Amino acid sequence: MKTLNIAFRNIFRNSRRSLMTILAIGVSAVAIHLFGGYVAQVIYGMQTDFVRDNGHLHIYQKGFFDFGAGNPVAYGISRYLELIQMITHDPQLKDHVLIATPIIKLFGIAGNFQKDVSKTFFGIGYVPSEFKKMWQWNDYNMPSRASRKNRVALSDSDIEGGIIGEGMARMLLLCDQLNIKNCVDEIPEKTIAPIDETEDFNYLAEPSASNTNLEKIDQRPKLDLLAATAGGAPNIVSLYVNNAEIQAVKAMDDSYVAMNVSLAQRLLYGKGEKKTTGIIVQLKHTKDIPWVKARLKQLFAENKLDLEIKDYTQIVPMYRQTISFLFAVFSFIAAIMGMIVLFTIINTMTMNVMERVNEIGTIRALGLRRSGILWQFIAEGFVLGILGATFGSIASVIIAMGINASGISYIPPNYVDPVPLTIVIFQNPFLMPVCWTIFVLLSVGSSIFPARKAGKMVIVDALRHV
Amino acid sequence: MNKNESVVRLTNVTKTYFMGKVEVEALRGITIQIPVKRFNVIIGPSGSGKTTLLNLLGCIDFPSSGQMEVCGQEVARMNDKQASDFRAENIGFIFQNFNLVPVLSAYENVEYPLLLMKKPAAERKQLTLKMLDAVGLSKHQNHRPNELSGGQRQRVAIARALVKGPKLVLADEPTANLDSKTGKSIIDLMYAMQSENHTTFIFSSHDKQVMEYSEKVFEIRDGLLVKEKEN
Ligand SMILES: Nc1ncnc2c1ncn2[C@@H]1O[C@H](COP(=O)(O)OP(=O)(O)OP(=O)(O)O)[C@@H](O)[C@H]1O
Ligand SMILES: [Mg+2]
Repeated sequence: MKTLNIAFRNIFRNSRRSLMTILAIGVSAVAIHLFGGYVAQVIYGMQTDFVRDNGHLHIYQKGFFDFGAGNPVAYGISRYLELIQMITHDPQLKDHVLIATPIIKLFGIAGNFQKDVSKTFFGIGYVPSEFKKMWQWNDYNMPSRASRKNRVALSDSDIEGGIIGEGMARMLLLCDQLNIKNCVDEIPEKTIAPIDETEDFNYLAEPSASNTNLEKIDQRPKLDLLAATAGGAPNIVSLYVNNAEIQAVKAMDDSYVAMNVSLAQRLLYGKGEKKTTGIIVQLKHTKDIPWVKARLKQLFAENKLDLEIKDYTQIVPMYRQTISFLFAVFSFIAAIMGMIVLFTIINTMTMNVMERVNEIGTIRALGLRRSGILWQFIAEGFVLGILGATFGSIASVIIAMGINASGISYIPPNYVDPVPLTIVIFQNPFLMPVCWTIFVLLSVGSSIFPARKAGKMVIVDALRHV
Repeated sequence: MNKNESVVRLTNVTKTYFMGKVEVEALRGITIQIPVKRFNVIIGPSGSGKTTLLNLLGCIDFPSSGQMEVCGQEVARMNDKQASDFRAENIGFIFQNFNLVPVLSAYENVEYPLLLMKKPAAERKQLTLKMLDAVGLSKHQNHRPNELSGGQRQRVAIARALVKGPKLVLADEPTANLDSKTGKSIIDLMYAMQSENHTTFIFSSHDKQVMEYSEKVFEIRDGLLVKEKEN
């Protein structure tokens, strides 16, 4: 195409100005790509972390999600192992579901009676080996984080082992025993008389298998957990703290107790039927959520199960909020960058037109129609846009690679440990092509105004112009 | 068409420019018939209206009143698109300042009018090369205008004006920006091209040399035709 060819040459005619324009477009593209790549990384990173810890879907007894926190026992799912079997062996689901595993959420009072302190706790009980498998999920190839790799898990066989939040440990005066950094046990001044040794919770405990065994001497700090059982009576179990693990949200950190699902069941259900309050389902791919959900609903309906399903965005509202926040910031940046491109192109193209008034008059005299002039200048905007957007794309990839290689890390909101600052522009495969297209369209769009001005010139005036 | 036919017929043509509130009557009622296939010259002092007249003839400007027929067509009331196509088809321009397209080579400048006429590539190539040869610039066909001398540029411009075989070639003071020796060679060339291509040429000039060549001279003064003489 001759028009494009001429446009190219005209762009190189005033190479300094064109270069500045291309640079302006390029820099805007870089800003959008880098920020977009960062946002994508944050969102996918958050999703990955969440899916590793909590799976994609949670299945509850109907009502648990809204009311269960007040009375978890009332919403137990009975015969949950059969349910898990049903999910993992369903011919339609089994290729998409990685793990389906019980989770128990409960609360109560944890006491460290050696130190005469106690505190309310919020506990989760899970199957450690399955959670360890869940931690492997990495559908988006996120860079691994040291703190995650070194994470200590509970073990299936150590039924009484547990992990507590650092805040919890501090309040239960376990800092020294658990070797927690920056934490010293502060013995509070006693205002009430110490509880008599014989008055601890132990007499409430229902005798259970391990309790009847010969008590092995455990070096780990022991907590007594007190909660209400299904029957309404208080129950108590002992938990041996492996270690403390800081939780991102302080309120959580101050009351977090993770334990083996069997211990949680022993506490909640005593000798009764062992239920669970929820089932976590982790999928191979996040995008399968809608139809896995649909299939599960169908299964539940067929089997007359009164269960509800929540996906991860419902369980963690912050996930959606973060996305909309980041999206707002991204749109703002994109709008500003778009304006910069708009004004740069209008300016450059106006100068190009003003510089070539005589030439416009000449080729009009030779018989080029107004539309021909219009297209000629729009073609120039188009070429500028293509060069700028392409330059910006290449520069973005190079800069992103540089940043990713530099190993910079930072702590995102609600995180406890640094995350490497990575920008993966290709995380969202549409980001780059969409940006590129928008920049080209924007360049074309902003050259229309100067191009129309050129097209409307009066030929004789243009020819008289010097 | 025989030699006595006219390529241009103007009847009572006026052109008034408005500069703010000031009216400038550049042409004040010109009636003129310009014969076909000849070397015609319009002379007159500066500001007399030569350029204005040529602009009207070239359909890049339109009269304020009067009738105008160029190449057998009523042109006074053409719209922009029609006028553009008319020019592309019928009119060749040679400018005082050469007005080549700077980003195009000599070859491409000459080829340009053929592109506007949407001629096929093979024909374009053949005509362009022939024309470059005729103006003696075959060796310079890949040079850009800024790599050519003034005389060479005007040769390219002549080739560009003639390449499509227009019915009418308009040249507004084509030698004014050239030294007299180069100017003479340009006029020689145009004269040769005119007789070879049987095209009608209309010049405007102050130049005595041009008048020597011309077959017909029109003299205008203050926007009026004052003299018409056959050489
Ligand atoms: N676009 C215009 N706007 C206003 N006045 C104009 C315009 N074009 C020409 N004129 C005026 O019209 C008159 C004739 O101008 P024109 O350019 O036709 O003269 P000319 O004979 O070509 O002169 P020269 O020999 O100097 O080129 C002059 O007074 C000029 O100032
Ligand atoms: Mg003039």
